[in-house]
Amino acid sequence: MAGSALRRLMAEYKQLTLNPPEGIIAGPINEENFFEWEALITGPEGTCFEGGVFPAKLVFPSDYPLSPPKMQFTCEMFHPNIYADGRVCISILHAPGDDPMGYESSAERWSPVQSVEKILLSVVSMLAEPNDESGANVDAAKMWREDRNEFNRIAEKIVRKTLGLS
Amino acid sequence: MRAASITFISLALTSAVVGNAFYHKKQFYPSVVYITKSNPSMAVIYIQALVVVVLMGKLMQKVFFGQLRAAEFEHLADRSWYAVTETCLAFTLFRDDFAPRFVAQFILLLFLKAFHWLAEDRVDFMERSPIISWIFHLRVISLMFVLSILDLYFVNHAYESTVSGGASAQIVFGFEYMILLMIVVNIGIKYVLHTIDLNSENPWDNKAVFLLYTEVVMGLFKVVLYFTFLIIMVRIFTLPLFLFRPMYYTLRSFRKAINDVILSRRAIRNMNTLYPDATPEELSAADNVCIICREEMLTASKKLPCNHIFHTSCLRSWFQRQQTCPTCRLNILRIPGERNTAANPAAGAEAQAPHAPDVPPVPHPGLQNPFVNGVFPGMFPFWQQQFNLQPPNPLPNQPHHPPGHPPQQEPSTSSGSASGPQPGLNAMPPPFPPMPPGFGLPFFYPPFPPTPMPPPFGIPPPMPPPGLAHLNDEELQRMECAAREGIAARLQCLQNIQQLLDAAVLLMQQYSNAAATAATNLVHVPLVPQMPTASAAPTAATPTSSTSSSSSNASATIPSSQPSSSTNRNTPANVKTHSSEVPSSSRSEELKASTDVKISPRSEGTPDSTATSSSPSVATGLSREQDEIRRRRLQKFSGNPEPLD
Repeated sequence: MAGSALRRLMAEYKQLTLNPPEGIIAGPINEENFFEWEALITGPEGTCFEGGVFPAKLVFPSDYPLSPPKMQFTCEMFHPNIYADGRVCISILHAPGDDPMGYESSAERWSPVQSVEKILLSVVSMLAEPNDESGANVDAAKMWREDRNEFNRIAEKIVRKTLGLS
Repeated sequence: MRAASITFISLALTSAVVGNAFYHKKQFYPSVVYITKSNPSMAVIYIQALVVVVLMGKLMQKVFFGQLRAAEFEHLADRSWYAVTETCLAFTLFRDDFAPRFVAQFILLLFLKAFHWLAEDRVDFMERSPIISWIFHLRVISLMFVLSILDLYFVNHAYESTVSGGASAQIVFGFEYMILLMIVVNIGIKYVLHTIDLNSENPWDNKAVFLLYTEVVMGLFKVVLYFTFLIIMVRIFTLPLFLFRPMYYTLRSFRKAINDVILSRRAIRNMNTLYPDATPEELSAADNVCIICREEMLTASKKLPCNHIFHTSCLRSWFQRQQTCPTCRLNILRIPGERNTAANPAAGAEAQAPHAPDVPPVPHPGLQNPFVNGVFPGMFPFWQQQFNLQPPNPLPNQPHHPPGHPPQQEPSTSSGSASGPQPGLNAMPPPFPPMPPGFGLPFFYPPFPPTPMPPPFGIPPPMPPPGLAHLNDEELQRMECAAREGIAARLQCLQNIQQLLDAAVLLMQQYSNAAATAATNLVHVPLVPQMPTASAAPTAATPTSSTSSSSSNASATIPSSQPSSSTNRNTPANVKTHSSEVPSSSRSEELKASTDVKISPRSEGTPDSTATSSSPSVATGLSREQDEIRRRRLQKFSGNPEPLD
């Protein structure tokens, strides 16, 4: 019998393949290693990221689901809650112990109830509604607050880039 | 590409140097001497040697690992960097015997270290991949074998060279290889555990625990090794700077391992004590997928106070990290405490529940009852009630006792006996906790037919607490598990009774002594005339149905308590002070009861009398008319002093 983490990841993969949520594709990069996944997220409609397809990498710890995975966009991103290197900063990806921004209540943190699907859906909603209080990318947060047009322009540029149009 | 060109250049340089030497010297030996004498040639040779070692390493890696994964490569690069820095630090320490041979040994050590790290990563990878081929096993096993042989050899080599040649840099090597050997052992244990897990049909829940303890034990070994080495190095050479980083990491991981073990143990303890197993009905009622592992729960599941159900093993690993419910984040550590304090009345009732039914320890209350009711009224509330309910109760002045009240007499009883100068009685245990009000009410017995006592202990069956509805499953289970406590309570109760009997006999003796010797002292005390005959006489003619079967047991129990009671004699003054502290009526009742105690074994022919006469003595918080009745009765008794005089 394989380890519990592996079994759970396989179950989640099966679930995601059978009932894929809209606009999200995810699965292991290589089926020999279920602890590294690749995900494709389409930008939510009606937002400045609409139409974009954003690739991201998910790395799971060996004690998943007790600890959260790490998620990192592998394309260029400009968003208040995404670090310049692509790492995603949302509360459900943080273990209850650590609080990098010092504002998250433990109720919105990681727990084994969360899943890849929920993470990706949260990321989609994060793309639609940035939380400008947690400044993973301070420039983006500032621009989102003060100069929305410029922000939209940059976002559109990124969308075009992910589609290979520019 | 770059590696290939470096290899090629170094090969070309080496051939050039060697060819040049041969071209000049024509013979083997002179050309070797020529090369070794020339620094540039030696540099080329060293570079060539390094390249050869790297190539060997690549070959070994191909053989034992195949293609390295990206994560493994990253890991390797990180660790190599640290290892190289530490090696350079170690060089500074041994700069005196800095020699090519020494450098070669360090490089070899580095290489072996790299293989150990890779082996560790590989074995960890076993948990991550669904496909583990036989070639993987073959590679890991042979690699571990080779590595352990090499480590052993080098440890041995270092040991022998140290023993023969004294302390040198060989100590460092010996120590490093010891650490590497530890790592191999650790990897081996992990590999075995993973393999067992992979080959078993069912999930192996305890694997995590085994891994945890392996971690602790190996960590301990490593810490001990590092400290020994540090001490040796400080004594022989100087402070080994290169040692501090690995030592720090080892200490840190050891501390973490211990912490994990503690947390895990606590989690297991909590799991076993605080939370009930989920019943099959609960499992089938709910959607029975464990939210942690997303698998069905068929067995071994636990239910949290918030009614969420999880696999026991899943919950245990989660509780190791966090003490909250995974689903609703209820803090499960705070809940039990809250429940204990908030539900205190209920908890108190619960705690009493196992006691109460078990308290009456003897099968024949007909005889025991008087002692109980008179001397230690709080002890057997049920009996009391049981006797009150007896229909053929002949005494006209029989007071009707509210069952919850008798404990009020306890203080006077215990203080009366404990404050006297009787060493034996000072050790009297604290009186039984009073029953919670209202607790006695629900248990009543049907009117007593001739053989009323239920076997085997003649105790009332465990009565339901006032309404089972408000108890949750856990509390009910706890009540079920109270059999052992019940037995303990019975034993305790028997001891209490014995001590009470002793006390009663003592008191009785004091009274009789006082009455016989110092009648003048006692004249003004209303209790004077209460001699055995006085109290027994009026009641002797009133047998009750319940006491007919009682005498044999009583005579077995009571005489045992008598020998110890013979020595101490309280002064009458002492008695007086006590009697003045309490309302005279209740006090006298109590004392009268103790006289009954004294009597019963002696007057074998009339055991019934004690049973019935004692019942009035329990009364305390009573209505006025009951008080009135008792007072009249007292007067009757005290007005009958003839036998005394």
